[in-house]
Amino acid sequence: MKSESLIRIIDVWKKYDMGGADPLVVLKGINLDIKKGEFIAITGPSGSGKSTMVNIVGALDKPSWGNVFLKEENVSGMSESSLSFLRGKTIGFIFQQFNLLPTLSALQNVMLPMEMLDVPEKAARERAEELLASLGLGDRMYHKPNELSGGQQQRVAIARALANDPEVILADEPTGNLDSTTGKFVMDFLGKMNAQGKTVILITHDLELVKYSKRVVHIKDGRIIKEAINKKIM
Amino acid sequence: MRVKKSFKLALNILMHSKLRSWLTIIGIVIGIAAVVSIVSISEGAKASLEERLGSLGADVITVNPGFSRASGAAGGFHGIRDLGERSAQTSSKKNLTSKDVITLRSTPNVKFVMGEISGRADLAYSSKKSSANIKGIDSPIWKEITTEKLKSGRLLMQGDSYSVVIGGNLASKVFEKGIPLNSKVDIAGKLFKVVGVLEEGSTVYMPINIARETLGNTGNNFNSISLKIADVSLSDETVADITKKLTASRGILKETDQDFTVSSPKAMQETMQQTLGLMSLFLGAIAAISLIVGAIGIANTMFTSVLEKTKEIGIMKAIGGKNRDILIIFLANSGLIGLVGGIGGVILGVFGSGLISYYGSAMSSGGMGGGGIGRMFSSTAITPTLLIFALTFSLIIGMVAGVIPAYRASKLKPVDALRYE
Repeated sequence: MKSESLIRIIDVWKKYDMGGADPLVVLKGINLDIKKGEFIAITGPSGSGKSTMVNIVGALDKPSWGNVFLKEENVSGMSESSLSFLRGKTIGFIFQQFNLLPTLSALQNVMLPMEMLDVPEKAARERAEELLASLGLGDRMYHKPNELSGGQQQRVAIARALANDPEVILADEPTGNLDSTTGKFVMDFLGKMNAQGKTVILITHDLELVKYSKRVVHIKDGRIIKEAINKKIM
Repeated sequence: MRVKKSFKLALNILMHSKLRSWLTIIGIVIGIAAVVSIVSISEGAKASLEERLGSLGADVITVNPGFSRASGAAGGFHGIRDLGERSAQTSSKKNLTSKDVITLRSTPNVKFVMGEISGRADLAYSSKKSSANIKGIDSPIWKEITTEKLKSGRLLMQGDSYSVVIGGNLASKVFEKGIPLNSKVDIAGKLFKVVGVLEEGSTVYMPINIARETLGNTGNNFNSISLKIADVSLSDETVADITKKLTASRGILKETDQDFTVSSPKAMQETMQQTLGLMSLFLGAIAAISLIVGAIGIANTMFTSVLEKTKEIGIMKAIGGKNRDILIIFLANSGLIGLVGGIGGVILGVFGSGLISYYGSAMSSGGMGGGGIGRMFSSTAITPTLLIFALTFSLIIGMVAGVIPAYRASKLKPVDALRYE
C-alpha cells in the first residue's frame, strides 16, 4: 500500500531581496514528498539552504514561488493566523537552542502550545506533567529554563514539541548543544516517536545522526543533489 | 489562546520586567498621583468655598477701601473673613468713615450697616503667646449680621467693654490646652474676658471702641463696612445704589477715581469660582503633561520590550500563537503597566491629598501662618468616582501607549523573529 503524503513541496524557490544588489536565491526548484511515518534527514553544508528548507517545511515561511502542501492544504495562500493554528496542531519543533520561554517554568512551557489551541488548563496540565515525567523531568517541572541543564532543557523542548500530539516532529540540529550521551538520548527518543507513527524530519550537518533516519536528502547550493534510502536502517 | 491566558502571560512579562519597566511605572504613579491630588484639592476647595460663602450669608454686602475692578475677588482667595485685611492691600485706598456708614443707612433694601476695624495684636494666655486677628465690631448690629455659630457662651452685647468672642480654632488649636469660656486673655497688654467661643475661625471679636484702643486706631475710620440687605434678589441693584451713594458722598467725579469696592457674595462666588476653575485647569494641565510623559514612557518601554522579546514572539508563533494572541499579550502588558502605575498613583495621591489637607488645616488654624491658602487646602475630597476614573484612565493610557508596539509585535514574521538574537 502506498503511504499517504504528509508534506509535498513542489518546485519551491526562495529568494531574498538584497536592496540594490541582485536577489539572493536560496532554494532553487525544490521538490520533496514526505510521507506519513517517515524519518527523513535533510543534510547539507553550511549555507546550502537547510535552514530555509526547515522554515518552508515547518510552515514558518512561505516560498517565493512554488507550492507547499501540509496535509493536502496549500500553505502558500494561507493567512498568518491559519498557518499558526496549523503549525501548532500539526508540527512539533525541536530547536538547537531549545528556545524555551525563560520566564515560564518547564511545566508552563510544555502547557503553552496546548493553551494556544484552547485546550482547557486542567487537561493541559495533566498532559504536560505526564510528558515531563516520561522524559525523566518529574522533579524539575517547576524549574525555570535557567535552572536546568542543557540536556534537561532539550527534554523540556521535546515534551513541548509533543504537547499537541503533532503528526510531524521537526528537529533542527537537536543535538547541536548537547553532550554525546544526552544527544544519543534525544536521537533514541526521536526514533521511538517515529516507531510510534510520528513523522520525524531531522535537519543536521552531522552525518553521524543520519543513521537514525530512513531517508536522507542532501542539499547543496539550494538544490537537492542526492536523495537516498538509508539501507543500514532499512 | 484564551484571553485569560493572554493576561496571565502579560502579567508574567510584567513580573519579570527589568528595572526600566518599573521606572516607567513610577512615571505613571506620579502622573496619576498628581491628578488625584489636584482633583481632590480642587473639589475640596470648591466645597469649602461654597460652605464659606454660605456662612458669610448671601444677604451681606461688604464695602472696602481701595478700588478693584474685580470686585469681590481682589487679591484672590483669602477666605471671606479676611476681607477687611485684604482691602488694606488694594491701591488708591482712602479709608471708610462714619460719614459713609451714616450715608449708607438710607440705602434702599439695606437693613443694617456696620463699620468694622481690624488688625493684629499679640494674644497671651497661660504663658503662651500668639499673634491674633482682631476685629472691632458694633456689638448690637454684629449680632444681626453675623452668620458665625457659637460653640459656647454668647455673642457680644451692648454694654460689653473688655469682653471678647474668639474663633474656635484659636481657642482649641493654637492654644494647645484651649482657652475656656470666661477665662481672661491678655491682648496687647489689656485683659479681656472670653464671653463666647465660636465653632471655627481664628478671629477675636471685640467692641469697636475697645478695638480702636487696643489696635491704636484712634480716628473714626473703618477697614470695612458690612451691610445686611432685606431682599437677596435685589443684590445687584443694591450694590449699584451703594456705589452711587458713596460716589456722591465721597465727592468722586470720575469713575476712575473710585476709591472703594463694593462686594456682594454673588459676585465673590462667581469670581472665586472662576479663579478656582482657572487654578484647577492650570494644575490639571501640569498633571496632564506628566501623564503624557508617562504614556510616552510606556510606549518607549513597550517598543524596547517587543524588541527584547522578538525571539520569544517567534517561539510563541512557532508553537501555534496567532497574531491576535500576541497582540492581546502585549496590549495587556502595557495596560497592566498603566494599571499598576494607576494603583500606585491612587495610593500616593490619597496619601498626598491627606498630607496637604493636614498641613492646610494646620496653616488655617494659624499655627503655620498663611490662613487663606491654608483654608483652601484644608479640605480635600476623594470620591469613589475619582478613584475609579483614575484607575480606568491609567489602564486606558497604558493600552493606548501600547497599541503600536503590540501591533508591530503581532505582525512579526515567525521566521524573522526566531532568527533574532
